[in-house]
Amino acid sequence: MTQLALVIDLNVCVGCHACVTSCKEWNTSGSAGSLSDDNPYGKDPTGTFFNRVQTYEAGEFPNTETIHFPKSCLHCEDPPCVPVCPTGASYKREEDGIVLVDYDKCIGCRYCSWACPYGAREIDEHQKVMKKCTLCVDRIYDETLPEAERKPACVMSCPTSARLFGDVHDPQSAVSIAIREEGGYALMPEWGTKPSNHYLPRRKTRLHIHEDELVRADNPLKKEQRGHAAPVDDTTLDDSTSW
Amino acid sequence: MKKATFMEIEGRSAGYLALLGFLGIFILAALGATYYMEHNGHYVTGMSNQIVWGMPHVFAVFLIVAASGALNIASISSVFHKTAYKPLAPLSGLLALALLIGGLMILVLDLGRPDRLIVAMTQYNFKSIFAWNMILYNGFFVIVGIYIWTMMQRSMNQYSKYAGFAAFIWRLALTTGTGSIFGFLVARQAYDAAIMAPMFVVMSFAFGMAFFILVLLASYNWTERPLGDAIFNRLKNLLGIFVAGTLYFVIAYHLTNLYAAEHAGVESFILMDGGIYTQMFWIGQILIGSLIPLALVFHPGWSKSRSLVGLASAMVIIGGLATMYVVIIGGQAYPLVMFPGQEVSSSFFDGVVNSYTPSLPEVVLGLGGLATALIVVALAIKILHFLPVSLADEVVDPHANAK
Repeated sequence: MTQLALVIDLNVCVGCHACVTSCKEWNTSGSAGSLSDDNPYGKDPTGTFFNRVQTYEAGEFPNTETIHFPKSCLHCEDPPCVPVCPTGASYKREEDGIVLVDYDKCIGCRYCSWACPYGAREIDEHQKVMKKCTLCVDRIYDETLPEAERKPACVMSCPTSARLFGDVHDPQSAVSIAIREEGGYALMPEWGTKPSNHYLPRRKTRLHIHEDELVRADNPLKKEQRGHAAPVDDTTLDDSTSW
Repeated sequence: MKKATFMEIEGRSAGYLALLGFLGIFILAALGATYYMEHNGHYVTGMSNQIVWGMPHVFAVFLIVAASGALNIASISSVFHKTAYKPLAPLSGLLALALLIGGLMILVLDLGRPDRLIVAMTQYNFKSIFAWNMILYNGFFVIVGIYIWTMMQRSMNQYSKYAGFAAFIWRLALTTGTGSIFGFLVARQAYDAAIMAPMFVVMSFAFGMAFFILVLLASYNWTERPLGDAIFNRLKNLLGIFVAGTLYFVIAYHLTNLYAAEHAGVESFILMDGGIYTQMFWIGQILIGSLIPLALVFHPGWSKSRSLVGLASAMVIIGGLATMYVVIIGGQAYPLVMFPGQEVSSSFFDGVVNSYTPSLPEVVLGLGGLATALIVVALAIKILHFLPVSLADEVVDPHANAK
C-alpha cells in the first residue's frame, strides 16, 4: 500500500518559514481553503495554518544548538484523530494513506483536536470545521501541472531542499532511502501512532586532519631561499611534480 | 406509609412569573450570544487552536454529568426499593431530563456547525466515544421518559420497576461515556486514565444530588408545601457521602499521577504552579466544592439548618463547575509533550502554557443552558403532577409515629 509522506531534514532546515507561507498561500486559495485569519497584523493574531515551525534549543549552555522543527500533520499510519470523529468526517485514504477531513461531514466538535498528540489540527474559525495538512492532495495529482511540480507546496518552496516527498512504503523511493541511510526517525513514536512523516536528524560533519598534514615536510620554496642557508642542490618536489 | 398525593403547582403567583421571566432573560441572552459567536466566528471567543473547548463545555459537561446524578433518587426508590424516596422519584426523573436538555443545548450551540446536527445523528462512527455519547444521550431521553410515564400513569405502575432498572443501567453507561471522553484521550498528559469514568460517575451522584436538594427546597418553600426532616436528612446525608466519594476519587487520581514521573509536569501544573488552574483546584474544587460542604452537612449543629444545607448544595455546584474548569481547560492549557526535556518556542504558541480567558458570550451561553434546565422544571411541575402535596414526616416515613 502506498503511504505518501514528507521527510524533513533538520540538518539543513534554517527555520525560514518559506514552507509555512507557501503552504498558507496554496491552501488558502485551493480546495482546502480558505484558511481564515483574524487580526493578522494586530496584537493577538489568530489564523489557520497547516504547517508550523517550532524551534527549540538542545543541550546545556554553552554547548547548545538551535533546532528548527517544521511540523504539520504527520499522516500517521494509525491516526488517533480518525477513530474519535463522531461522524467519520476524519478519514485515512486507502489508496495513498493521506489523512483528510471531509468538510461537509465535520460538525466542528473539535474532539479530534484533543486526540491528536502532535497538535496538528486546526479549527477554521469562520468555516468552523476542522482542517489540517492535506499533503496538497489537490496539487500532487493535478495532471495539468508539469510532473516536477506535482509536489506539496512546502516541498516546492524550501530553499535548502530540506523537504522530501514520496512513498515511504516503497523501499526504493528517495524518502525511504533517506530514512534508511540518514537515520530518519518519527516524532514521538512511543504514542504508537506510527507517523508517516519522518525527520532526518542533525548531523555533525567533521573533517579529521592530523597536524602533519598541515605542515609541509618538504618546502618547495627551499630552493629559492636566500641568505640563511646554502642553496639546495638536491632534487625537490618542484622538480618532479607538475605544479 | 400513606399513599403520596401528587399535584401540580398553582403557578400564578408573581414570584413564579418573575422566576420564569428571570430565567427567560438568561435564555434569550444565551441565544443572542450564540448568534454573535456564530455570526462573527469563534475567534470572538476565548477559544483558540490550543484551547478548543472553553467555558460552554465546562457548563455542558457539568450539566450532563449532573443530569445522570439527578436520577439518583428515582434509582434508590425503584432499583433499591427504598420506599421513602418513592414520592420524589418523578421529580428526580424530570430534573434529570431537564439538566440533560440544558447541557445538550449548550453543547449543540457550541458546535462549530450546529446546523449539521442531522449529520451527527445519522452518520455514526462507532469507534468514536463521542458518537456513543450521542446514542447514550438520546437513549437517556427515551428511557427516562418511559420511566416517568410508568411512574405517573397508574395503569403503567407495574412496569416502573423494570423501567427504573433500565434507566439505572443506562445512566451509569451515560456517565461512563462522558468520563471516557477524557479517559480515552491518550494524547494529553492530564487524561488517558481509566479512573476518569468511575470518577465522573461519582461526581454525577454529588452534582445531581446538589441540584435535587436545591430544586426541592425551592419548590417546597415557595409553594409552602410541608417538607419533613425525615426525607430531608436522608438527602443531606447522601449528598455528604457522594461529595466524600468524589473527593476520594480525586485523591486517588492525583496520587496515581504523582507516582509516575511522566505525569510530574502536569501534576505540578495543576497542584502547584498553574496559576488560575491551581487556584480553581484548591479553592474551587477542594475547599468550596468538597471540604466546606462536607463540614456543613455533617456538623451536628450546622446540618440542622436547611439554609446551610442549601448553601452546601450550592457550593457543591460551584465546586463542580470549578472541577470541570480544571479538568477540561486545565488539561488543554498544559502543552503537548513532543520534545521531552526541551524548552520549545515558536511563533505559534507551541510548547508554552496555553492561555485562555473566557469571553462573555461563552459564559452567557453556559448560564443560558442552566436557565433552560431550571425553566423546564418550573414549567413541568406546573403542567403535570410531579410534586407530592406533602413530604411531611408522617407521609414519608412509615415509622414516624412509632418514634
